[in-house]
Amino acid sequence: MSSPAVVVRALACTYAGATRPAVRDVDCELPRGALAVVMGATGAGKSTLARCLTRIVPCFLPGEVTGDIELLGVPVRDRRVGELAGTIGMVFQDFEAQLFSTDVTQEVVFGLEHTSVAPAEMPERIARALGAVGLAGFEGRDPTTLSGGEKQRLAIAGLLALRPPIMVLDEPTTDLDPAGRAEVMQVLARLRAEGLTLLVIEHDPAAAAAADLVLFLRDGAVVARDTPQRLLGDVGACAAAGVRPPDVTRVFAGLGLPDPPLAVEAAADRLRTAGLVPRPPAFHEPVPRARSPLLEIRNLCHRYPDGRDALLDVTLSIGEGEFVALIGRNGSGKTTLAKHLNGLLAPTAGSVRLEGREVAFLPLEQLAQRVGYVFQDPDHQLFAATVAEEVAFGPRNLGLAPTQVEERVAEALAAVDLHERDADPFLLDKGARQRLAVASILALRPDVLVLDEPTTGLDHLEQERMLELLARLHATGRTIVIVTHTPWVIATHARRVVLLAEGRLRYDGPLRPFFANEELLAAAAFRAPDVTRLGRCLGCTPLTVEEFLAWTPRRS
Amino acid sequence: MPLTLYVPARTTLHQLHPVTKLGLLAAFVVAAFVVDRPLLVLPLGCAIGGLLWLAHGGGNVRRLRVMFVLVFIFTLVVWTFFFTGFFRPSYAGFLFGLSTAIRLDTFLAAGLLFLTTTRVEEVAYALGRLGVPYVVGFTLTLAFRLVPAFFDAAASVVQAQRCRGLELGRGGVVTRLRRYVPIIVPVLIGALRRADRMAMALELRGFNSGRPRTTYLRARAGRADAVAGALAVATTLVYLALWASGAGRLAGRP
Repeated sequence: MSSPAVVVRALACTYAGATRPAVRDVDCELPRGALAVVMGATGAGKSTLARCLTRIVPCFLPGEVTGDIELLGVPVRDRRVGELAGTIGMVFQDFEAQLFSTDVTQEVVFGLEHTSVAPAEMPERIARALGAVGLAGFEGRDPTTLSGGEKQRLAIAGLLALRPPIMVLDEPTTDLDPAGRAEVMQVLARLRAEGLTLLVIEHDPAAAAAADLVLFLRDGAVVARDTPQRLLGDVGACAAAGVRPPDVTRVFAGLGLPDPPLAVEAAADRLRTAGLVPRPPAFHEPVPRARSPLLEIRNLCHRYPDGRDALLDVTLSIGEGEFVALIGRNGSGKTTLAKHLNGLLAPTAGSVRLEGREVAFLPLEQLAQRVGYVFQDPDHQLFAATVAEEVAFGPRNLGLAPTQVEERVAEALAAVDLHERDADPFLLDKGARQRLAVASILALRPDVLVLDEPTTGLDHLEQERMLELLARLHATGRTIVIVTHTPWVIATHARRVVLLAEGRLRYDGPLRPFFANEELLAAAAFRAPDVTRLGRCLGCTPLTVEEFLAWTPRRS
Repeated sequence: MPLTLYVPARTTLHQLHPVTKLGLLAAFVVAAFVVDRPLLVLPLGCAIGGLLWLAHGGGNVRRLRVMFVLVFIFTLVVWTFFFTGFFRPSYAGFLFGLSTAIRLDTFLAAGLLFLTTTRVEEVAYALGRLGVPYVVGFTLTLAFRLVPAFFDAAASVVQAQRCRGLELGRGGVVTRLRRYVPIIVPVLIGALRRADRMAMALELRGFNSGRPRTTYLRARAGRADAVAGALAVATTLVYLALWASGAGRLAGRP
């Protein structure tokens, strides 16, 4: 009997300067060829566990590590990260940081050259690694020309070439669009079939469905470990660990049914058998009232300096007080469109008007107070020493008096529920930084708020919090436009979907017909929320679990 | 946008040994450096232009055409008007300006030819073969990878701050410099964070594995290298001879 792939005993880790351990009392064992998925809220210790396995802690990030880790029966104590290459590989969320070459082949070669692989053996290893991630034929390409999904797969190939029996993946799909995510998930399935031991950190329950073992972490400790069926089927266990329970689980819990299956189709069968089929009301959709158009986009075209067309003949208008979701694959032009709304980009042809006035000609100061734009990465704008200073930056740029600036800061921070005025923005967690970024725009009191992927990289509770914030802002009359890939984010609040494909407007209309149209969903590489898919199996199109439950008559 | 100028084509020039390509570059630069007469520099420029065309570098020339023209005009004007004194146009200045303009464009074209036909990794390899420490070549490769990412991030930061009403072009010098703080801080912190992650990723791929390094790129010098090398040596020798004899110098050079 060979030793397990990974053995962790009484592992504890406290980062230098921290007061409490990031990981404590962790014991776990992964048999060879197992797929384990680690879930939990931000700060639960998921990444720290992965970093301890690969010795990034303490080799790169200083900290005190106690307990034992064995990989393939060999203790890793006192080993350097580089020495473990070929034994364990690790992929991060930030794929740009994992590519070092200007050529796909050289990227895979890199590790081989540094681990003494004989040159004669390299061509075969390169071909196999690229083949395993579906990048055969990409030899010689410049990695900067690849899509996000392709870059992440290339980073995986670079590690695979070293033939590590164990791979750790820390949120490998967080920064990818649904298509890229599906590609990486396919690669994971293939690696598993080839017998690799995989430890994957993921927020998405769908990714955990195929796992042999799911671990829930909270405050650095393993609070639950079981099969995905058991853990993800338990609303209470999910909630306790800050993990978003799958829609099916919530539906089953709401209907009082035991043992929810993880697959939507199986769940539909169970519900049909149990006679619990939702009956949607005949007229549930309020007739959209005519609103005065705030933003009017006419025949908008945008061409990049390198000659590529990003937008082609897009026409739509956004009314006051609307909540619009802008979706499409990466590279479909949605961010380009969004950046036209506040004049960050100027049309190559066509026009963008704000209340009849050409956006491109409005002075920046004036525009900033009408249309606010929150960038995807809050770290692209945070620079001040304190939270209050950060928020004050915008109002000061407008030349407001100190008392007015102070009033705006207080108002914006209250709106986003952030009270640590004197905290250092860089030390806040990701969710708070994202809310701070929103506050710094809110301080300009814009009527329209455009947000690029406001929930990406946040854990379940932070996502909920961000959405509640958006709902509140919407309720106070602001017009909201969000660019997003997350199905349930759209379903919960947005009432209108704008789908772009290859720079053209593919769909513009209400949510429900969009989610009912398989062809459109496929064009967008978009998956409807699980509860919607469950409803579709049963002949209706619910948007949320609450709606599904409200439609389902229960036997008393 | 890719930063590299490399054009993946399988021309004879591309397939030369990286060291040969480096030698050719050096030969062209030295030759263009030692002579002043426009009529002597021009053939070098033409030869490089021809090679660029053969190496499918036309697209690169088009990409940098503004630079070629600007460098040429600027040099010519400056030398013509300032050679003999402040704002005193002279024929000697014009001639010298012309030769310097052609020379600078020749340097530019030679560099372009080199980058069109050579991957950054090959440059690192060539440097390694010439005894330059591995770290130097590797740093060069990494720079080519990082610079575009750095500029992407900077562009994004500028846009993000503009959304908060930041106008860079307003106010006096000190005010303007202070206006750059909200740009510089996020860009630098972002770059440092990424560099940190990159260091981890490098080591996870076996950098610092403690095992000896091997090399995948295995360029073998062939007949084409012998011909190109001979041409490079001959060109250098001819131009050095012109310089030594004084025939390459322009009369009236200070």
